[in-house]
Parts: sequence; structure tokens; C-alpha cells
Amino acid sequence: MSDVAMAVRPRTAGDYKSDLKPIWCPGCGDYGVVQAVYRALAAIGRPSHEIAFVSGIGCSSRIPGYTTAYGFNTVHGRALPIAQGIKLANPDLLVLVAGGDGDGFSIGGGHVAHAVRRNVDLTYIVMDNQIYGLTKGQLSPTSASGRHTASSPFGALEAPVNPLLYVLAYGAGFVAQGTPADMAGLASVIEAGIRYPGFAFVNVQSPCVTFGDPEWQLRQHKAALETLDSLDHDPGDRLKAMALAQEYGTKLYTGVFYRDPEPPPTYEAGVHERHAALRPQAPPRDRILEAFRPRRDGEGGDEEARS
Amino acid sequence: MNHDLIVGMAGSGGDGVVSAGELLLTAAALEGYHGILTKSFGSQIRGGESSCRLRLSTRPVPSSGGTLDVAIALNWDDFLRFGTELQVGGRTTVIYESATGVAPDRLPLVGVVPAEALAVPITELARKAAGTDWAKSAVVLGLVSGWTGLGRDALAGALRRKHAKKGEAVMAANARAFAAGLDYAAAYPLRTRRALAPAPEGQGVKLLADGNEMCAAAALHAGCQFFSGYPITPSSEIMHFLSREIWKHGGTMLQAEDEIAGVGAAVGASFAGRKAMTATSGPGMSLKTEMLGLATIAELPLVCVNVQRGGPSTGMPTKSEQADLFQAIFSAHGDAPRPVLAPTSVADTFAVTVEAFAMAEGYQTPVIVLSDQEIAQRKETVEPFDVSRFQVVERRRPTEFELRDYQRFRVTDSGVSPISQPGMAGGSYLASGIEHNEAGAPTASGEVHARMNEKRLRKLEPLKERRDLFGVEGDPTAPLALVSWGSTAGVAHEALRLAEAEGLRVKLLVPSLLFPVAEAVYRDFLASVQAGFVVEQSYQGQLYRVLRMYVDVPRGVRSFARSGANPISPAELVDALRRTAQDLQRHQMPEMEPRE
Repeated sequence: MSDVAMAVRPRTAGDYKSDLKPIWCPGCGDYGVVQAVYRALAAIGRPSHEIAFVSGIGCSSRIPGYTTAYGFNTVHGRALPIAQGIKLANPDLLVLVAGGDGDGFSIGGGHVAHAVRRNVDLTYIVMDNQIYGLTKGQLSPTSASGRHTASSPFGALEAPVNPLLYVLAYGAGFVAQGTPADMAGLASVIEAGIRYPGFAFVNVQSPCVTFGDPEWQLRQHKAALETLDSLDHDPGDRLKAMALAQEYGTKLYTGVFYRDPEPPPTYEAGVHERHAALRPQAPPRDRILEAFRPRRDGEGGDEEARS
Repeated sequence: MNHDLIVGMAGSGGDGVVSAGELLLTAAALEGYHGILTKSFGSQIRGGESSCRLRLSTRPVPSSGGTLDVAIALNWDDFLRFGTELQVGGRTTVIYESATGVAPDRLPLVGVVPAEALAVPITELARKAAGTDWAKSAVVLGLVSGWTGLGRDALAGALRRKHAKKGEAVMAANARAFAAGLDYAAAYPLRTRRALAPAPEGQGVKLLADGNEMCAAAALHAGCQFFSGYPITPSSEIMHFLSREIWKHGGTMLQAEDEIAGVGAAVGASFAGRKAMTATSGPGMSLKTEMLGLATIAELPLVCVNVQRGGPSTGMPTKSEQADLFQAIFSAHGDAPRPVLAPTSVADTFAVTVEAFAMAEGYQTPVIVLSDQEIAQRKETVEPFDVSRFQVVERRRPTEFELRDYQRFRVTDSGVSPISQPGMAGGSYLASGIEHNEAGAPTASGEVHARMNEKRLRKLEPLKERRDLFGVEGDPTAPLALVSWGSTAGVAHEALRLAEAEGLRVKLLVPSLLFPVAEAVYRDFLASVQAGFVVEQSYQGQLYRVLRMYVDVPRGVRSFARSGANPISPAELVDALRRTAQDLQRHQMPEMEPRE
């Protein structure tokens, strides 16, 4: 079903790396994420011009420019609607979406549920660093309660959102988490997300070295991460996935939380069927106004059907 | 015999006055008359008061007209709620439900005695003939048909067709009610003659559409392959039409979760190479603004329809206004105005929408179609026309040669750069809302920013030469002028004809292109002009203000503007022109003195 699996020729990670030099801070987790994306794309093997990579606004949203794909660095929080438009306009494309936790769960939070329920075949990578880095260190939707930031000097009064649990609850067919502290694992969950035929969500714990929580950096990740494989987690078990996702913020599980064993049809598959059914009814181009001809009693036409 | 007839009806929701109006218009279209039907409702979804005004004519009708010739009140409370839309004058024939108990010389109308008032037992006729109050609208149809002579066969047929699904019994009951109305009209002829002259020979069947449907059909003609939007009054019919039809043409539609996603998905589809459209009204337009700026800087074609309603905020969702012009042109942050086009009628909505796609694709820019509730939701007869007259434009894609060293935003002579799309080998680039250089790489260079701003604005310059997007009528040397746009242009057109018939020397300019302001077109038009009015439906007089920004408007040209839901009538424009002509004569401005 998913034509992304059709490799044309063996490709290397380098094929997907652009000439643009990343301007992230030295040591930023996002360097690891873009490397993992190169690797995942190489494993899939689609030529880069058949890939659209869409992002919002934020440090992490610079990522499309660092790849050789068709990139679209859009506006804050709106990468998902734009990506759906791209995929529906040309279902043959491999469409990746990326952004930060603010982009996906604050300003653009309203779009996630609908991207999930439409089930357009996209892979949505959120680089979750629990802070607003680009604007210099304010509270983000995933910042821990009580956290001191530029906009919460006395500590955050609100609780963080749990992206994994949200997206599972919305009904997503694929939910995974990774960290650049485990590059191979991260590349493999991104690849699995791309291969999943439907909306796939990958949360990446990508630490901010400049404004980030010192307790939550790559070195600590390496020590703290627990792979879901090592827990013998069955990714077909949605309730178990939700139970594990509850640990977001306290434990760092990596791997696939949930993969629907029977993926439901995508939106674009429905579009394809509808085209097959309705295209034969297309009026000739020069008779497009026929729909407006009033009908006399006894004449055929779809007027009643419409009223 | 009347060549032009305006009938207004009002009642409560169940009285069926709007459906009666629709059937009358359908019958008229089949017989070859020209007509416009406007509907007006209270804000209730079901029930509540509703009204319609129907103008029928043997000649083309540019507006829904002014004072009613025939007013029909199913009850007075509901009728009086539409005071500004259903104006009764000294020459109006008033027909009303006799069960209201109002005496013909005691009508609850302020300051006017109509030419004739007739109480008709409409409900009683419906009950007797059909056994139900639901047949009141069929009785009304019979009355109107009887008094105007409008095709009883066509009406009887339209009535049958409307009730076909409800079975023979309902159809027969309605036919009896219709006949009862006819009989009553025959038994009680009007003193005021309301017979409609026959449609001229050779008049074929007219098409019937509202502006929203016409906009959607035009989008399909233009090759629109993607529509996404969010339901909002009064633009939703565009989505409704496309949700039925776009699939047949291989396109896709999406009902988005909000207005932002609605425009966002369309921007995405355009990036992916498809012609894309979104449609909304004021509040949605406010939400879409950021994304329009993105389409401007990423140089992506996009058609965004704004069916204007009363504003600001929720304002008056079911009423027409033309107060979103400033927003349409200037609402983006940064130097990012975009082309704005406005249709003047249902038929014109086709031309304007196809043109909007041509501009969007040709110049790689968002284009606003600024329709209004009046045009968008009124049903109008349309003379069948050849759609192939309206040229379809495709975006300029890079040649294989250009793809060898491809720069998406290359600064060209025209300012338009060849545009690639995902799937095209060699054309990969980064589209972005961040300022970028010719290759698409993000930049914070002031020099590059200035150059790209210049490119993005320069490419729109040729639009200012598009004289074909302006309608000019009347005496070219006239000292008096009207300028008007959107649905109000029809009123101005009618005022021009009336003023000319009085011997006033007037001309009219109607821009379809509101922005960029075609300075030379206005300069030429205004050269002979000493006084006149920019006529529009807004408090501020937004077109007038925009013209004052770009054009040397003569001091004698003033704003004739009024808030929405207070229609401007042709007669009051003629009054204003007459007074202005008298002023000009009295004060003999220096320019008016004979020249050597």
C-alpha cells in the first residue's frame, strides 16, 4: 500500500544532506535529529525530490532547509494543515512534518487532533525540548510544573501537556519516541513512522543546551533511557501503550508505543475511491454551467436531489 | 404593461415566502425574463421571520432595485422587521393577510399611503383548497401569477417539481391552492395594473445561480483542484457546491478544523503544484491573514474568496456590507499588499473568479476575491454564455534548462520566477516565510530583503495596465461621475441610466480590480470630472479613501457611503447627482468656464 517502501536505488545519508549549514547551538539535540532523518530517508530510499519536508517556526523548524528534500518552512504552528494540503494534492509524495513542542502542542495544538482523525499519511516529528529556545527561554507547553524560565521567574504555575498520551488518545495509529542520545534507535523509529501507512507521530526528546534543564541533557538521556523492546512491550496493545505514555516526564521510554496492527484507510485512499466513483460523472468542460439551467416539470436533472 | 416589477414578501418561517419567490424566479427564467431574488432572514436557523424581494424584468436587471411595486405581508410584525429591505412607497400595491384584522386604511406603515391596499384571506384559501396552512405559499403564487400574468403553466410545473418527492396527494393539494389564488386574483382585479409585459421574442431559458455557486463553478473552469475551508455565513455555499462537484474534476476538498487550517491546506496544495482556493467571510478572513502573508513571501498562487458581511467581529452575518476592502488590501504585516478583485453581479462572479486564478497563477501571489453577501446569496438569471471565452492560465514552470542551475526566486525582468513543485527532479528548494535569497536560503540581509520586496511588488505592476478590468459607461466628457464597486455597482449603473434619462451628463466607472490601484485608468476617467460620488456600502467609504491614497481625486468627488444592511437605491443617487449638477451650475467652478 505504501509506495514509500519502494526503494529505487541504494542511497546514503549524505544524499539527503543539503549545503546549508545548520545554525543550531553547538551540542543541540536537533543535530542528532537531522542525522537520524538522513539515515531514515536513506533506509527508505526515495529520491529527495519526491519528498516534501514541512515545518513550523522555532529552532527545530529550521530542519527542512538542512535536507535536499522540497522544504517548506511555514508559519508558527501551522505545519500540519499545510502538510495535509501537500499530501492530498500529490499523494505520491513522501511528506514529513517537523516542529517543536511549542509549535505542535501550544500555538498549533488544535491541528494535531484533526491531522490524526483525517489520517493523512504523514510522519510528524516533534523535537520536544520543553522550552522556547528561539525566543530565548520561555515556558513551553511541555515544561515541567514549577520550572523557572524567562517567563516564569517564580516557577511555572501550570502543568505540562503529555504529547504521547494526547496523540494516543486522539486515536493515532503510530506513536513512538526517541532521543538523539540513541541515534540508531531514533533513526529506526523515524523510519518505522514513515513506513506506517497513515498518520505517524514521533516525539523526540531533543535537549536544549542553552536554555534547557541541566538535568535533562543528552548524557542524562543516555543513562536514563529504557527501550520499550527491553520491556517486552507489545506495540499492538493500545491500552498498554497509554499506560507507558503516562510516564512521560518521569521516565524516558524509547521505541514504538503503538502501531495499529490493522491500519485504517487513509484520507487519500478515500479520495482515490471517490475519484474512481465520481470522475465518470464529470460534465464536459464547456458545459460547466449546465448545473444552473432551471428544469421544467418532468425534466430530468439533479435539482430535487440538491434541494 | 410593466417591463419591470419588484415584489417583496415577508412572513414567518413556515409561510414559505422564500420558496414562493424561488418558484416565481424559476418560472420567470424558463419564460426568458431577467430577474433577481434576494432573501433575508432573521438570525434564527428555523422559523423566525423571513422575506424575499423579487425583481422581474423584460430587460437585464443590474440591481435588486428600490421601492416595492407589490408588497405582500403574511403578517405585519414580520413584514415590518424588514423595513429597510422592503420599502413601501406611494405607488406600491400592498397585499396582506386579512386574518391580521387590519383595515386597508389603517396599515401599520409610517409616513406613507400606498396606491392600493387589499386584504386577502390567504390562510382561509389555503385551508379550503388544500386543507393545510402549508399551502399558503401556493395561494400566494396563484395570486401573483393571476395579477402579473406570469406563466401559470411554468409556475404550476415548478410547484409540482418542488413537491414531487412528497407524493401525488401533496402535489394535488398545492395545485388546488395555486388555482384558488388564481381564481381569487381573477375575481378581484387590482386597481393598480401589475401585469408584466411578455418577455421579448427569442429570449431563451436563462440560467439561475447565486454568486457563491457561480464562484465555485468558475473555480472548476479555472482548473481549481483543491479547496479547503471552514463553514461560515455567507460563504458556505461555495464549499457546498465544490463538495459535490470537485471530485468529478479530479480535485480534492477538505473541511478544515478552522479557518487557519482551511487556508493552510490550500497553501500546501499550491506548493505541491495544484490550483487551490479557500473561501470565507470577515471573521475567517481575519484568521487567515498570517497565511496570506506566507503565500506572498513564498510566492505561491492562492485564491482567497471573502464574501463580505456586516462587521466588525461577528457583526451581521446575514447582511451585506463592503467594509473589508482595507483588510483585503492591507491586512498583512510587512510590505505585502495583494491583488483584490470584486464581482458586480452573479454572472460577473464567473469572470472575476477565473481572472483571480489567472492572476494568482500568473503572478504567483495570493489574490482576494472580494464578493459580498448580496451577490453571493442572491439568485439571479444569467444569460447562458460561452465559458471558453474566459482564459485559463497555468503557472510558469521551469524548463529543463532552467532546472540545471535552478533558483526558485531568481530575480527576473518581470519579477516572476519559474516555479517548481515537489516531484520535479532538480527543482528542490526551500519555500519559507522567512526572508530568503534567490536560491531560497534564509537571510537577514537588508540588501536581499529590499531586493526581494522590490521583486515581489514589481511583478504586480503590469496589473495596473489592465483596462479590461474596468467598466466605463456614459458620456466620456461628462462633468459628473459615479465610481462604484461590488453589488453597489449595479445600483450605480441603474442610477446612471435614470440620470441620463433626465438629461444629466454623468459617467460611471466600475473597477473589478480594486488593487493594485490602476492610477492611469482613474486619471483618464477623472480628467473631465468636476464632481461626483464614490458609491459603496461601508461607513468609512473605503474605496474612496484608497483612491485618495493613490489618485488625485477632484475635490468635488465625494464619498457616498453608508453602513451595510441599509441598501442604497438608484433613486437617491439620482437625487444626489441632480443636486450636484445644480450646485455646479450655481457656483460655476473656474474649470467650467469656456476655454479658449
